[in-house]
Amino acid sequence: MKILINIAFQSLLNRKVTVILTIISLTISIVLFLSIDTLRLGAKKSFFGNVKSGDLILGARSGEIQLLLYSLFQIGSPTNNISWESYKEISKKPEVDWIIPISLGDSHKQFRVMGTTQNYFEKFSYRKDQKLLFKSGTYFRSTFDVVIGSDVAKILNYKLEDDIIIAHGIASQSLHDEFPFKIKGILKKTGTSTDKLVLVSLEALEAIHKDWKTGSKLPSKIKNKEKEIKNFDLTPKELTAAVIKLKSPISIFKIQREINDYQEESLQAIIPGIVLTKLWQIVSITENIMLSISSMVIVSAILGMIAILYSNLNNRRKEMALLRIVGASPKNIFTLMMVEAFLISFFSIIFAIVIVQISSFIFFPILDRQFGIFLEQKIWNARNLYFLNLVLISSLLVSIFPSIQAFRKSINDGI
Amino acid sequence: MYNALEINDLFFKWENKESFKLKITKLEIENKKKIVIFGKSGSGKSTLLNLISGILSPLKGSLNINNIDITKLSQKKKDEFRANNIGVIFQQFNILDYISPLQNILLPCFFTKFKKYDKLYFYDRAFNLAQKIDINKNILLQNNSKNLSVGQKQRIAILRAIINKPFLILADEATSALDDKNKKDFINLLMNLCDEEKVTLLMVSHDTSLKKNFDDFINLEKILIRNENIN
Ligand SMILES: Nc1ncnc2c1ncn2[C@@H]1O[C@H](COP(=O)(O)OP(=O)(O)OP(=O)(O)O)[C@@H](O)[C@H]1O
Ligand SMILES: [Mg+2]
Repeated sequence: MKILINIAFQSLLNRKVTVILTIISLTISIVLFLSIDTLRLGAKKSFFGNVKSGDLILGARSGEIQLLLYSLFQIGSPTNNISWESYKEISKKPEVDWIIPISLGDSHKQFRVMGTTQNYFEKFSYRKDQKLLFKSGTYFRSTFDVVIGSDVAKILNYKLEDDIIIAHGIASQSLHDEFPFKIKGILKKTGTSTDKLVLVSLEALEAIHKDWKTGSKLPSKIKNKEKEIKNFDLTPKELTAAVIKLKSPISIFKIQREINDYQEESLQAIIPGIVLTKLWQIVSITENIMLSISSMVIVSAILGMIAILYSNLNNRRKEMALLRIVGASPKNIFTLMMVEAFLISFFSIIFAIVIVQISSFIFFPILDRQFGIFLEQKIWNARNLYFLNLVLISSLLVSIFPSIQAFRKSINDGI
Repeated sequence: MYNALEINDLFFKWENKESFKLKITKLEIENKKKIVIFGKSGSGKSTLLNLISGILSPLKGSLNINNIDITKLSQKKKDEFRANNIGVIFQQFNILDYISPLQNILLPCFFTKFKKYDKLYFYDRAFNLAQKIDINKNILLQNNSKNLSVGQKQRIAILRAIINKPFLILADEATSALDDKNKKDFINLLMNLCDEEKVTLLMVSHDTSLKKNFDDFINLEKILIRNENIN
């Protein structure tokens, strides 16, 4: 056996170019598969990372996915709002630990404005219980303070104490220009939708909409709005949604039922994890397509390896004959071919592992920063190891055919 | 006298080829003799050697080497027997050029069961034999055998054939790739080593000028039975 491994190894070295090309193509395909798989799992984790904090999301009755999308990802718009009274009442339930109100509707440049309370900064967490952190500044202290997400700061090049104007609605030309806001805080990158938010207090949203009874700006006679506004009652009238955390997960279904059966207003409560899973199932079609493409790449690389083993059979007839004459049995010839296939796939796998490991050090931080796809450094889970074994075994299995061919030839062929 | 090789009623034909049939009623070669068999191209010289070495199996007949009928041996035993008892030299392609000349010489040792405890002995033997035929240590220990001359390759082939102290050496047109000078050297070398090692030599060739170097010669066509008489 030792001599066979040695001969196989030397023989492969002797056919460097073809062998290296085979190894490269197999390595690339393994790397491709592993990267796609790691990315996919990472994307999934990041996606689900948006929901870690709340047990329930409260909103006006509409589609579950729609509610999930606008409340957590700020995608799309609500058709209806919920009243402040209902919100207040639900937040007073004894089972509720904390509640974060969300009020959407306005925008700043390409970013959405979200009205909320201090709870959002203190209670909201993402991914593995990571809290929102301030890169600079703090939570809004007075009405016209604003906190911006890291992408907003970066893309619009904003610093603390910059003034910004909020536009009414999304992609609208009418500005709330009588109420300039001051940036008081900039959040650290989270890799979630928070990075693209302009956060203001609920009171501020109420204040800037005082004049907007019908959706368009009323001509105003008041000169100094900011002073004037303090005299008004700034309790909000409506909210878009709210994230509810319960004291104990046992009461999730009870509260959900109570909200869904709420008499005064048609409300709904969704369990974000469940709805997100439904949503992911739709998204995962792409995921499956990517996986099948990369598996096919692997299959083709293995077939390429077999093709090379086959095409070498003829060139190597004399080599095999010589081995036979010095005492190698047809079985030895078979083993020799199998050892070669093993060496090729083994080295491909080793190289793939090294490449994936190195690129994980290089690219994971970039992916996290640029795309909010957070990947854990520990990539070698049971699943990947199982996959690598599968590649090894299947390449050995298909190599049996050229090896049998060599075996047969070495019996029937003279020298 | 004792026969190194004894063939009786041998019959062989290729699975996929009807036109060629090889039948030999009797062939005996005495121990320690050096015999050359002449025959035209395609007459079946190589096929005969393949049968004697046990690479091919005859359909009928017996093939005794050192009084062992190799047609009765299992495939595995046959391969072992060959590694232990038969050395073969070809016309060309006698060595794997991606391993060192030394490894080439020792190849048969790797496939025999004596390989473990005789390892050092065989290394020593390889170096000693090499010295005798003008191949020095540096050449033997080269990384690969790509840079060897044709003559060197054939000399390495002789050593490989003889390293395992075989009983019989088979040579298939072993001189036809060599020029006259190399051919003469090669034949002398082979003859000397066979004498020293007390080995029987059976060579096949179409080059009848070799006749003078051998104890005896056989014309293959004479011992072959005409095709039409074969069923
Ligand atoms: N592997 C094979 N399969 C089928 N037929 C074969 C095979 N090898 C040789 N033959 C046929 O067997 C016959 C004898 O061939 P062989 O090689 O024994 O002749 P040879 O006397 O050695 O010729 P040469 O002097 O050219 O080497 C030829 O007709 C050849 O075509
Ligand atoms: Mg021949």
